[in-house]
Amino acid sequence: MGPRWKGKGSELKALANPISNSISDLQSSLIESNSQGILSGSTVLLATNPQQTDLLNQTCFGRPVITVDKPNQWFQFSLEEAFYLYHSLKCIKIVDGNHNIKTVNELWDYMVSKRASFPDFFKAYSHLRVKNWVVRSGCQYGVDFVAYRHHPSLVHSEYGVLVFSDGNGNRNGNDRLRVWSDFQCTLRLCGSVAKTLLILHVNRNGEDVICSSPSCLDGFSVDEQTITRWNPERCREDQAAVN
Amino acid sequence: MEVEDWAASSGGSSDSEATSPDSDNEDHCYAYGDIPKLQFRKDGSKARWNEDLGMAEIVSNKGRMWTTTGIVCGGKIYSFLEDTLFLAEIGALQLLDDDDKCIQLEDIYKKVAEGVGGTSWESFEVYRHLKSLGYIIKRHGVCWSMKRAKTVPASVEGESENGNKDKVSITEITQLFSKMRINEAKPIFDVYPPNSKFRKSSPGKPMFVLCISR
Repeated sequence: MGPRWKGKGSELKALANPISNSISDLQSSLIESNSQGILSGSTVLLATNPQQTDLLNQTCFGRPVITVDKPNQWFQFSLEEAFYLYHSLKCIKIVDGNHNIKTVNELWDYMVSKRASFPDFFKAYSHLRVKNWVVRSGCQYGVDFVAYRHHPSLVHSEYGVLVFSDGNGNRNGNDRLRVWSDFQCTLRLCGSVAKTLLILHVNRNGEDVICSSPSCLDGFSVDEQTITRWNPERCREDQAAVN
Repeated sequence: MEVEDWAASSGGSSDSEATSPDSDNEDHCYAYGDIPKLQFRKDGSKARWNEDLGMAEIVSNKGRMWTTTGIVCGGKIYSFLEDTLFLAEIGALQLLDDDDKCIQLEDIYKKVAEGVGGTSWESFEVYRHLKSLGYIIKRHGVCWSMKRAKTVPASVEGESENGNKDKVSITEITQLFSKMRINEAKPIFDVYPPNSKFRKSSPGKPMFVLCISR
């Protein structure tokens, strides 16, 4: 399945405005305003100026929080999104409720305490983001993430992404796609929303089973695998044409 | 009812499961500046934040939302942090500190981050989502209304008056929920159906009890 652009002109618009440019503008703007996110539960909240609001909407980081607060707009980020802005793009700082700026290790420990598989999920998220895929939560579709080639208003999402933690010696992280009916469920759902199922196998390659700092991410590797259903009834007519 | 009038703009409907590529419902994804705006409110209520209680005491109440929000104790209305933040976000409440200075939204968010008053961001999001749809929500294990405590413990006997008696009974309430640990699957909220005739003095049974799991 190739990219399905929405409407005429979307593809051209996307080519004229690469996501990488918007992300770079976002990075500069946040650094310039010394932006600080508030760590709250499994979310980070950030106040943004109008330019940052536009850029966050264009690059699909976070979700706006609807408030009357003027002139600020508030956004909320998932832990992966927030850590990507903090650690990979290095454009925000993060504070707690007592105004203390969190160090990278404090943040890492906190996020891993919220979810033991955070390192694998973050690796998968950043693996796609670094290649300029737009990555959003996939919980609406029963997957971990959905990946778009560009802004969702311009293109339909092509991939439903599941993150598998491989090679940890600890298979407890893989509680999806255990039996055939799991495959059938997930594939049917993905198919009905026209997405290809993409499995990202994150291999820790022998890094500490308890990943104690973000530097362990450098040793992780990611293998991509798409799963689709082959339908013999569909294919044989093509074969006949070839013959 | 003001709250019921306000459509749930915070999350979009995740019930519209896509059955075709074109109804790919990418909610929360706003293109280029069309974030929904809230209705303008001229007069809001005012409340004073009480750090010890972890609740706000309503000082001036405007609007009918108070028939379904906050608990009544000794003739005064007190609101939990989630009630307070919800109303502050939509501009219906101004929260004041002890010096009567307005507490900014950012600082209310920081209170939630600290877990003040037994709130967490996740429990607030659930609260906000249901409240904007018109449901009536209260903390599990707390009464909608309590009369002033008739007996006063020995420690405050002889002191005036009304203020202290109220504080004692409210403290009992806050002790109930301060032990709640939001991160475990414990009941957090009692949820009642939308009801324009709702009365705190006889609320009826909740529709369901809501628990949040990690």
